[in-house]
Amino acid sequence: MKALDTMSLTYSYDDGTLALKDLSISVDEGEKVAIVGPNGAGKSTLLHLIAGFRMPFQGDVFVDGLKLEVSTADDVRKKLGLLFQDPDDQIFMPTVEEDVAFGPRNLKLDDVEGRTLKAMRSTGTDHLAKRRPHRLSYGMKKRVAIAGILAMDPEILLLDEPTSGLDPRSRAELVSFLKGMSRTMLIATHDLDAAAEIADRLVVLNISQVAEGTMRELVSERGLLEGAGLEIPQVSKLFESIRSSGFSVESVPVTMDQAAAEFGRTVERERRKNASNR
Amino acid sequence: MIVAHVRGHRVRAEALDEHAQASWLHRIDARAKLVGILGFVIICALMTNSMLIFSSLVLSVLFAGLSQIPGKHLVKAYLGALPFILIASVSVSAFSGPERGLDMWGRTSACVIPLLVLASGTETYELFSGLRRLHMPTLIATLLMLTYKYLLLMSEEMARMSIARRARGFRPGKSLLDRYGLSVLSYTAGMIFVRSSDRGERSYEGLRARGFRKEFPIWSSSRIGVPDISFMAVFLVLSVALVSLQLGVVL
Amino acid sequence: MHIPDGLMDPVVALIGWAEFVIVIGVTLLILRKRIKEKDLPRVAVLSAGIFVAQMLNFPVGGGTTGHLIGGALFAIMAGPLLAMVGMTVILLIQAMMFGDGGITALGLNALNMAIIAPLSGWGIYHMLNQMSFGNRKSDAGRTKSFWDSIPVACSAWASVFLAACACAAELSVSYAISGGRYGIAAPVSIPAVLGYHAVIGVGEAAITVGILAYINSVASKSPSRTSGDGKTVIRLGRTDPSKTIWAAVAILIVFALALPLYFVYAREGRDGLEQTMDDANVQEGSPVLTAPFSYGENYFAALFMGIVGFVVVALLCSGTIRLLGRGHRPE
Repeated sequence: MKALDTMSLTYSYDDGTLALKDLSISVDEGEKVAIVGPNGAGKSTLLHLIAGFRMPFQGDVFVDGLKLEVSTADDVRKKLGLLFQDPDDQIFMPTVEEDVAFGPRNLKLDDVEGRTLKAMRSTGTDHLAKRRPHRLSYGMKKRVAIAGILAMDPEILLLDEPTSGLDPRSRAELVSFLKGMSRTMLIATHDLDAAAEIADRLVVLNISQVAEGTMRELVSERGLLEGAGLEIPQVSKLFESIRSSGFSVESVPVTMDQAAAEFGRTVERERRKNASNR
Repeated sequence: MIVAHVRGHRVRAEALDEHAQASWLHRIDARAKLVGILGFVIICALMTNSMLIFSSLVLSVLFAGLSQIPGKHLVKAYLGALPFILIASVSVSAFSGPERGLDMWGRTSACVIPLLVLASGTETYELFSGLRRLHMPTLIATLLMLTYKYLLLMSEEMARMSIARRARGFRPGKSLLDRYGLSVLSYTAGMIFVRSSDRGERSYEGLRARGFRKEFPIWSSSRIGVPDISFMAVFLVLSVALVSLQLGVVL
Repeated sequence: MHIPDGLMDPVVALIGWAEFVIVIGVTLLILRKRIKEKDLPRVAVLSAGIFVAQMLNFPVGGGTTGHLIGGALFAIMAGPLLAMVGMTVILLIQAMMFGDGGITALGLNALNMAIIAPLSGWGIYHMLNQMSFGNRKSDAGRTKSFWDSIPVACSAWASVFLAACACAAELSVSYAISGGRYGIAAPVSIPAVLGYHAVIGVGEAAITVGILAYINSVASKSPSRTSGDGKTVIRLGRTDPSKTIWAAVAILIVFALALPLYFVYAREGRDGLEQTMDDANVQEGSPVLTAPFSYGENYFAALFMGIVGFVVVALLCSGTIRLLGRGHRPE
């Protein structure tokens, strides 16, 4: 059974503009899928719809086998952890501790203190337990918001632009945090570098599905991502430029690690070329 | 941070919560504080004998003094309440003589001071939680929490907009006849509404995404202990004393 | 208009609390069945918004300032029931967090600002709307033309003025029945409170019209609201004939609220006032107004009768217009 499954999902805003068209996306358990697309592509809307906040829609949505309907919306939400783009939209209580505990308390889960502590520890916010959230930096607030979601122990995480607004250091920390987590994830983002690092698979969205595949596959198909209004990862740009300068780059990397490896191989190839030319 | 203009004086809500941490009042259960202090205030409002009014005023000030809440803050808050108190006292003086006027001033002051101490010495959420546990209607309790949250959001919004307005040279007019001034004011208010209602809606979704359904869970499960009971007992004794003296004098 | 503790006679304050509890109690009972979950953030946002709007001081000339009450605005935007609860929340926050308005006085404050203001504002608004638009349905609060804004302005002004009347009545009666120990004497309280609020009411009318105009213009231009149920958050009620009856009921309730006060005054007031007159005459060297005293009693009664008369006339008018309008309905 898939963790998440949508079938021919179509949704329009009140004024009639189409937001999502005929989407059929599925996520396996443990898989991390990134939904990428330009602004206005409907990524946020998709996440909010899956969480049961945009009804009615055409098509079907199944979360962990449960079909999303008005009557099941609350139960579906229990399985999901939706992280909002703006942490201030989610942080509510006067102290970090109470805020992280808010979710488990609402859902009447057991061992609220234990869950809270675990969530705070894993996000590195336990030293802020008694502090006031609205005094914290943006990056810390995001962490508190994530802790609040994790404390509910959801089956699937829905992350709405998790890296937006973060300074480079916080962003790097968040990326490695998400990368190291073993949970089913659906991430909506236009930060392709982050998507490349974290996600197993990407879906390119612009109201309807444009393409799907691993980052490498998408980058190799020339002009696909640019055509969808996206910028390919920095390292990929670099290596494409290197390749067009005449160096023998075999496959364009999409992450730093891949880039380092590819660089080594390219240098090796160049050396052999020079050697054989003599 | 909520910046309120209480009759022209700026009182910052966040500052209130800061002072709460400083005082021993902070550690008393909210329910005990509410029952004790509000009960005392009710009794003070019933005093009509000059000596008793004076005594209750002294007790109120004493309470304020012992509360460890910064005096400057309490004075500022008191000044905010003063205008209406003065108007009442002065007009009573005009009709019934200065003694009655003084009584009015003393009584209203004796009532407002413990209230200010209560507000300053308790964290807002604790206060709401205490009210809730004292069986305030759930709908009102929920709305209180939500409204407070949105107030925080809106105050930021307002502060930003006020600065933006001033940065573009807007100065409030002199009288009601200044139509331009009024219209800018109401447009500002309207804009705050619209922006905040969007924000409020998203915020509410954020709550629902974390399982919220119509009611906030009661989060502080503190029990009534000896300090709380002693606190209430002190106020009870004082209140009873004042009432019996008043009845004795009247009779 | 936030009354502090210790100002009003305990009996008056008690009446205030009793009426407040009864009205809000009934309101909550009705709402329990009718309220939808999406109403919660809507009302809370309005409460927060009007709380903030109350802080906007506007100058009224002569160096003094006034501020918005917002009862009519709330009621026009969210209906009378939610408005009463929402305004109560505002008062609770003000009293508990800022000490603005006492707790013995909370009943009276709520009565004036959270019950009388919204109810009368809403009632008058719908009745006036009905009178001017009896033949066509109109979106409430729509202020695209000057004429549309008249019901809004009138109801906003009236809500402030009626709340002020209540406040003045409470002050005078407190004074009269306590032998001058509580309250403020009628010759001072009535002109001062009514005069001040008659002016403030103009500001309230202007701001209420302005806010509604802005919201209407924004709401019509705004991009799609992506809320799940497809409705805008700020949705103004529609005017229709059935509302007129409820509007009239609302206004009658407002005046019914004054009755206990009047009975208390009638029973004990006379003695109190005579007592005070004696006090005043005995005082030496203090500024005492003797001439207006003989009108003190009449002020209050005249005021009360005048308002009742106005309402009766208004109801008759609106009823007549509707009867006439029925014949001209273009359908």
